[in-house]
Amino acid sequence: MEYKVEAHRIMSISLGKIYNSRVQRGGIKLHKNLLVSLVLRSARQVYLRDYYGGICLSAQQAREWCEGEYMDSEQDRLVPGSTESLPESDGQSEVAVDKQEPSIVVESHAALDVESEARGEQDHAENGVLDSGCSELKTPESPEASPTCEVSNVVTTISSNCISGPPPSNPKQATETPNDCQTDSESVEENSHEPIVPHTCTNRKRSADDSELTDSLPKRTKVMSPTLISKNDEKKAETEEMDTSNVSSLITIFGSSFSGLLSSEDGAQPDSEAEDSDSGQICCDQMLKNLNPWSTAIVAF
Amino acid sequence: PKGELEQVGETGESGEYNVYSTFQSHEPDFDYLKSLEIEEKINKIRWLSQQNAAHFLLSTNDKTIKLWKVSERDKQPEGYNLKDEEGRMKDISTVTSLQVPVLRPTDLMVEVRPRRVFSNGHTYHVNSISVNSDGETYLSADDLRINMWHLGITDRSFNIVDIKPANMEELTEVITAAEFHPHHCHLFVYSSSKGTLRLCDMRASALCDKHTKLFEEPEDPGSRSFFSEIVSSVSDVKFSHNGRYLLTRDYLTAKVWDLHMEKGPVETYQVHDYLRTKLCSLYENDCIFDKFECVWNSSDSVIMTGAYNSFFRMFDRETGRGVTLEAWRETSKPRAVLRTRRIYTGGKRRRGDVGVDSLDFTKKILHMAWHPEENIIAIASTNNLYIFQDRVSPDTHGPDLGSNTI
Repeated sequence: MEYKVEAHRIMSISLGKIYNSRVQRGGIKLHKNLLVSLVLRSARQVYLRDYYGGICLSAQQAREWCEGEYMDSEQDRLVPGSTESLPESDGQSEVAVDKQEPSIVVESHAALDVESEARGEQDHAENGVLDSGCSELKTPESPEASPTCEVSNVVTTISSNCISGPPPSNPKQATETPNDCQTDSESVEENSHEPIVPHTCTNRKRSADDSELTDSLPKRTKVMSPTLISKNDEKKAETEEMDTSNVSSLITIFGSSFSGLLSSEDGAQPDSEAEDSDSGQICCDQMLKNLNPWSTAIVAF
Repeated sequence: PKGELEQVGETGESGEYNVYSTFQSHEPDFDYLKSLEIEEKINKIRWLSQQNAAHFLLSTNDKTIKLWKVSERDKQPEGYNLKDEEGRMKDISTVTSLQVPVLRPTDLMVEVRPRRVFSNGHTYHVNSISVNSDGETYLSADDLRINMWHLGITDRSFNIVDIKPANMEELTEVITAAEFHPHHCHLFVYSSSKGTLRLCDMRASALCDKHTKLFEEPEDPGSRSFFSEIVSSVSDVKFSHNGRYLLTRDYLTAKVWDLHMEKGPVETYQVHDYLRTKLCSLYENDCIFDKFECVWNSSDSVIMTGAYNSFFRMFDRETGRGVTLEAWRETSKPRAVLRTRRIYTGGKRRRGDVGVDSLDFTKKILHMAWHPEENIIAIASTNNLYIFQDRVSPDTHGPDLGSNTI
């Protein structure tokens, strides 16, 4: 348990560093951000391992997380990066990043929110959308919350939420802020006896880089969203699906000029920056787990 | 590491050092395309081999490398016919006779002039420069690329290493330091954030993405922690003077590698292993990202590197023993003998031992230099430059050093 607390703390510290690196003089340092993202990944792995009571992450999943969404937003505009995550998102039903065990469907918003909190950005449109799905969670409203505070809020709210039953899954909400969540894949069967909430309100967000790249990618995501939603509907209480968190909000945090990244069913497409700023939408602890550490670092580039 | 460069002057009889010259090397700049400020902070300085009376050095900030010429002037022509003492034109009607201007000694003047500016060669932050043994070329390395320049040509450079992945999301390591071989102008080495070293031969291909040799030590699974990757990132790499070994520094250790053995270092020196349990705090306060340099002595028998609390460490390669010394004004009077320090890590505590928790992490010795021929070292700490020399025997090594503070 101590490991989990420690890992959590390290994750929040790392996020704070990534946030601060954006405003430091001289531009974002690639080397330091790379190292911080590695720490973030290690901490997340430990955190998740601990959380799931020792259920091992499959190597494939771990690898896929690490496959990282480094984006050089300054040097190379967008790289068609999250091609990995997109295909993964495609096969939502079988999903599990590696198409193996079904995994808990997790909203990626927590992670995103943490990051957005770290950045102190707000997007009210996002807020509205996401709120509906994660109603049980109290989310801090102040965008100025420090990353650490935010994280602790997340933890508290998540814990409470996780004890409760499956959250009301809101397909609409899931689509509005499409976010590819990626979690450890856990077998439903194994966890069924545990009070782990199979969150099915998945949010899918296209990676900032994806969206920026071409229109085809956004369309792709849009196409996938309905699929995702429908599958979510089907699998609500039982299914654990793994979403791929392509580019978590961290990427969007850094990818400054991406707009209209989010494809949603109803066409609502808040800015990518907006989705990050969605403070308060932290739905569950698992979102933190969905943080893709890779996305954090290279973002700025 | 400010925008300024200070050069240390000559000593008098008393062995005191004075500032020779001060000049502003780089100014803050702005990249309008990316809306990024470019810091004026100097990342590296390298001297060229001296060819004539003037000295040349390269200095670099994050983006631009400059070649400076440092020359002395201690004579001045006097007695012009057409100009007066202040340089104003004389009224010709007042000139009644002609004289030959003569050179008269004047106070020493040091002139530093920029001779070349090598700009726009790097997208990422430049971390290393290294002058080639051919005296004509040099390399500059940033996080993902290494370029080779000719000292006389500023509008072109050759890219010799490019580790940027097609998809930036796949990035896993960056270049942290690079250096040319001291004798073989076709060989250079670069280190990575993963703790690996790559020796490259420029004769093999124009783009040296494929290494000739890869030096890597397998990770010890027992010591794995959240911060394993950070502490294994190499902050500095130096060829030995004889060109047979490499010295690397990572956060906790200094390692000597034999160029003929790729599977691991031949020697590993613990610089401050007592910090291993404090990595989380050091991560929090960013100290874990400090980049320490390391140096060889002239005979490659001693290596030296910096630490915290104004301490620096010297390791005798023959005995394997290390000593801790301090560069601190309060305890170093001119010509005082440096005494060794100890960090208390358990066992019997001696007087003068410093506890790990009382170390001052703001006083870090990151930069240092060892005279290429003599036992004189320069240690840079925050705002001071310390120069220590071996009084007993300038040509041998040992911790018995006299000190000078600037």
